[in-house]
Amino acid sequence: MTDIGIPVEESAAFVAHEQELVHETGHASSLGLSNTKLAFWLFLGSECLLFGALISTYLLSVGNFVGQVVAGNPRVLATMPAEIMNEIAEKGSVNSFFDIPFTSASSFILLMSSLTMVLAHKAVSEGNYRGTKIWLSATALLGATFISGQVYEFTVFYREGLHYDGNLFGSAFYTLTGFHGAHVTIGILMLVALLIMAFKGKLQADRAETVEIIGLYWHFVDVVWVLIFTVVYLIP
Amino acid sequence: MAIIDKPLALPAGEPRRAARPLGVFTRPKEQTGISAWLTTVDHKKIGIMYGSAALFFLLIGGVAALLIRIQLATPNNTFLSGDAYNRMYTMHGTVMVFLVVMPIGAAFANFLMPLQVGARDVAFPRINAFSFWVFFFGGLMLNTSWFLGGGADGGWFNYAPNNGVAFSPSHGIDFWNAGLLIAGIGSLTGSINLITTVLNMRAPGMTLMKMPVFTWMTLVTQFLLLFAIPVITVAQLLLTFDRRFGANFFNVQQGADPLLWQHLFWVFGHPEVYLMILPAFGIVSEIIPTFSRKPIFGYPFMVFSGIAIGFMGWGVWAHHMFVSGLGPLSVTAFSVATMFIAVPTGVKILNWMATLWGGKLILNTAMLFSIGLITQFTVGGLSGVSHALAPSDTQQTDTYYIVAHFHYVLFGGAFFGFVGGVYHWFPKAFGYILNDTFGKVQFWTMVLGFNLTFGPMHILGLQGMPRRMQTYDDAMGFNFWNLAASIGAFILGFGVLMLLANVAYSYSKWKKAGRPNPGPDPWDARTIEWSIPSPAPSHNFDTDPVVTSLDDFWHRKYQEDENGVVRRVHTGAEIAQPGNGEGVHLPAPSYWPIVLAFGIPIIGYGIIFNLWLCIPGALVVIGALFGWALEPADDLDAPGHDHGHDGPGHDGSGDHHEPELETV
Amino acid sequence: MPTPRASRSNRALKRAGVAALGLLLLAGCAEDKPLNTFEPRGDRAQGIYNLMSPIWYIMGVIFVAVIGGTIVLALKNRVNGDELDPEDLPHQTHGNTRLEVGWTILPGVLLAAISIPVVANIWKLEEKNQPGQLDVLVIGQQWTWSYRYDTDGDGFFVDANGDGKVDEADKKFPLDTALDPDDVVTQNELVMPVGQQVDLTITSRDVIHSFWIPRLNGKRDAVPGKFSTWSLQANEPGKYTGWCTEFCGLSHARMRMDAIVLTEADFNTWLENQQRPAEVPDEATDPDAFAGRQLFINQCVSCHVIREAPGPDAIPYAPGFQANLKSGYAPDLTHFATRSVFAGGIYSQYEGKGTDANDDALDVSDYLRLPELAKADPQSRDDYRWNTAELKRWIANAPARKDMAPDDLRGMLPFPALTDQQLDQLSAYLATLD
Repeated sequence: MTDIGIPVEESAAFVAHEQELVHETGHASSLGLSNTKLAFWLFLGSECLLFGALISTYLLSVGNFVGQVVAGNPRVLATMPAEIMNEIAEKGSVNSFFDIPFTSASSFILLMSSLTMVLAHKAVSEGNYRGTKIWLSATALLGATFISGQVYEFTVFYREGLHYDGNLFGSAFYTLTGFHGAHVTIGILMLVALLIMAFKGKLQADRAETVEIIGLYWHFVDVVWVLIFTVVYLIP
Repeated sequence: MAIIDKPLALPAGEPRRAARPLGVFTRPKEQTGISAWLTTVDHKKIGIMYGSAALFFLLIGGVAALLIRIQLATPNNTFLSGDAYNRMYTMHGTVMVFLVVMPIGAAFANFLMPLQVGARDVAFPRINAFSFWVFFFGGLMLNTSWFLGGGADGGWFNYAPNNGVAFSPSHGIDFWNAGLLIAGIGSLTGSINLITTVLNMRAPGMTLMKMPVFTWMTLVTQFLLLFAIPVITVAQLLLTFDRRFGANFFNVQQGADPLLWQHLFWVFGHPEVYLMILPAFGIVSEIIPTFSRKPIFGYPFMVFSGIAIGFMGWGVWAHHMFVSGLGPLSVTAFSVATMFIAVPTGVKILNWMATLWGGKLILNTAMLFSIGLITQFTVGGLSGVSHALAPSDTQQTDTYYIVAHFHYVLFGGAFFGFVGGVYHWFPKAFGYILNDTFGKVQFWTMVLGFNLTFGPMHILGLQGMPRRMQTYDDAMGFNFWNLAASIGAFILGFGVLMLLANVAYSYSKWKKAGRPNPGPDPWDARTIEWSIPSPAPSHNFDTDPVVTSLDDFWHRKYQEDENGVVRRVHTGAEIAQPGNGEGVHLPAPSYWPIVLAFGIPIIGYGIIFNLWLCIPGALVVIGALFGWALEPADDLDAPGHDHGHDGPGHDGSGDHHEPELETV
Repeated sequence: MPTPRASRSNRALKRAGVAALGLLLLAGCAEDKPLNTFEPRGDRAQGIYNLMSPIWYIMGVIFVAVIGGTIVLALKNRVNGDELDPEDLPHQTHGNTRLEVGWTILPGVLLAAISIPVVANIWKLEEKNQPGQLDVLVIGQQWTWSYRYDTDGDGFFVDANGDGKVDEADKKFPLDTALDPDDVVTQNELVMPVGQQVDLTITSRDVIHSFWIPRLNGKRDAVPGKFSTWSLQANEPGKYTGWCTEFCGLSHARMRMDAIVLTEADFNTWLENQQRPAEVPDEATDPDAFAGRQLFINQCVSCHVIREAPGPDAIPYAPGFQANLKSGYAPDLTHFATRSVFAGGIYSQYEGKGTDANDDALDVSDYLRLPELAKADPQSRDDYRWNTAELKRWIANAPARKDMAPDDLRGMLPFPALTDQQLDQLSAYLATLD
């Protein structure tokens, strides 16, 4: 960043450098980053605020919910079976409601998918088409396993009495984890699209950036899960 | 001075792949007529469409405003019922904020910013078209509520729990949610697009600190949008879930905290305020130096104060909640933080004044509107300081004093700046100049109407008249100034309509005179958008402009001689580009942005009325996404960009650098 | 909507026949402005006024300097654009760093200086009163305010969770259930003693409202589920008008409150009276009122409360009472005749003297006389009198008198089946509620 009073020589040097850049790299993007990648980073920045707002909402809502349960508000107590409410009131937190080992396992699976995503990107950059297909499939499969786990978990919780329209806890829990699940699902769809391209032979090394960008999204979704897992399941 | 002699045209090399055989996916060819506008991806046409749509919505919001003023002209008036009044003022605020002021900012950003940074188009032209259409359809959807059970009735701030089904059983607020969520998609994709364009597609040599101030303010504005939109999106989604699917986020009976809505709303809402005013700041920062015939005073301070306003805008949201019982500690922190926003704002005003200082001012219409912004915004800024002081705010908040304050900022400030901008850049967009005398009459009509409408509201507010009142008593002492404000509102409405009248009047005069071209540089202006013909040709620049300094075009026209005296060495017309687009490839138009944007409101109606309706909506969206992904790049000798997924950036020759990257 | 509570001063204006704009302007300034924030009558409002007084002047100076300066610069430096010589350029200044730093720091210093008294005032507004002074719970609901006086001094107002105890735990609940039976409840008018700092705890039963008596203090929101503290103090006895200032739905424009400030002695008399249960009218001497009570039991008790001494024949009322309304509560009418307004403070319960039915400019010195005026001869024109006509119109069809949505359980139902005689009887009964 130069000031406005820049001498002409210096400026000309800059322009020359810029032109050099054009010839060397084939483009003169001012930041040296492709438009698509820059745009994706911006999109992820926006997503941070989306999840930030959702996580804040969850913390506030569940805090209020627990406060009402502890104080014994009859309207809130009526929304779930008494034994669950008693446990929540006793512990002063909703953590006892969760099956931590199960979710830890599915979290581990999701984290592993980040690793396979890195390997997929590496493979496509090296022109290793077989590896690309294998690692992309693995990533999509691990993601799908995570989503299946989430669907299973939702079913169990619903049967236990945690309903979306029941109380604050239900609304906040399903909304936050559901939003994340939707993001993972969109990621899986993008991976499937990449796989179709790969099987048609259209995913060559020059498309490495596409894989990299979808990888960025995938890693972002994983990192968000680490945060959600910590906030929702682990911290009392 | 140097202009790279490398042609801007894309390398007409061998196409990597032949065009797809699928006939349905060929791209539209029309260059004129309605379908050209519907399928265009040209940032200038999209900018003009943003402006036209905003004017259309301005008429709706303006009629609502006049109905409000008729109702309030006399005490105990029964012109509008309580219910009708609530819907009217809610829709007035919502329409004016989301569908008028924001899109006018987007109109200028779209039209102007790529020209100012010397780009061929924005980074992702198809996404740009999508941004416009999704905004437009979202706005239309919001306004269909007038015919489907009445507009929203919770205020534009729409506080919980009054926004719940229990207290607002009609569909108005559902439309408010759905329409604004949909329009918000457009704001988000638009902001990503414009930021990428500013950061990545500047002309060679245009470092950040050589960007025009308007481009800087666009950058700050779009960053504010990028981070603010997701927050209001969450708030509106939570409310939609509450209203349509029985969630409990704002259900006080279940222990929910209604202040959650206020926090989410104002974390969005305060940056929103700044992103409405900053584009106007940028516009007058271009107009004032041009017609003072000297550079903007303190350019780096102008830039950094804009950035500072942007940053500080995130730390002051709770000043909208001083009386909601936050506790004295929070109130202290937010009160002090808010007061200090006056510092960067004051720096801007003083710098504009310093630019006027010692200048040779041409007081044409654009300049008058800019001076109007400085003076009227100052009034709004001062009243802003008076309610940044929390104890004073406990007397002023939710009174007409606040109504006066934000209309001085948004109307006297932002809107005056926008009108000035229209006068200034009109020849660059349409090829003829708006009549200056007519414009001056319009300016003085608007100044009179505006100050007669909103000036008395300061008095009314301090005399205790609360906001959002359907009516008031004879005994409260509010009668006189309310009548004055109502008279002023009609004068103001007339003043705004004069802009349209001037467009028509000047056009007919221009046509009679044989359509003379105003030339590339009618104002002897400073920035590079004036170095191309008027109206701007669809390919923008014939050759890549190389920028060596701030106000580059001016410095090519005027240079210091050996005695250090600044002399004109060229006229604008001499060094302007001829507008020869031979060999330039432009991104081809596309059907899919409008189709994709059309599908989304169908889903919105589905969520309001019947979930089955979501299925056709989703089918349209999915179909459009496939069409988008599979349609060929513009034509055979353009590089192929048919990635199998959503292809932001693979739009084919969005800019003059990108295609080379993509074909490597 | 009919005209509630017209003013004398405005009629004086009309009589004067002032038409000219300038004269109207002058008259406008002379007009009575009951909500004026520039006429503080209590120490809190005075503190805010004093804080702002110098700041208005500073703002005035800046206003004149910037706007005047800009206009002077524009006029002084203008040139004729048509005759402009493009070679004739003004001096090309790019900026002046020292100047810029100066006008960044100077306003900063000025604001820092201003912020000191501001912060002090913020904390002063939060100061609590002395133990033993009056505490009042202020509850907003669509579209009226009610007040509960903590007369037994236990510091709590409501048994919100219905556990029979009034304690800290109650603060966590929406106010949908019972009140502390020891406390006094009144509606629309906050009656308070002069001079004393009265601490308010403000909350809401439905949506957010805002409590504001501009001459006594700024405003504070009534947020459902939250209890915000605020306080009022008045230097002089009198009636201080306020208005709900947070948008709260259909009748937001018709949701008022008044502070009735009485002398210490009058206040104590008033409070003592409020603690009595309602009396049953005598069937023999006042048959209309007695019949009205029966009508009340038949028609009104599913929402309204009148607290009589406990007994088998008392008007049914239980702690845990809940009206069939979204707010869960309709106004408590136990001492209805002691109040000067009804319907959320927009209609006068007492007509004016002489022939002017709209003159409601009651003096607070009359406030304690109201119940006895209710019993006075309704034909007499010598004094204020019971406003039967308005009350009957209200009972017969309240939604026609004030925007409400009774079908949606927000507001009072119309009672089209009541005959004129029945309405008279209800009015007669309500007039006995001293």
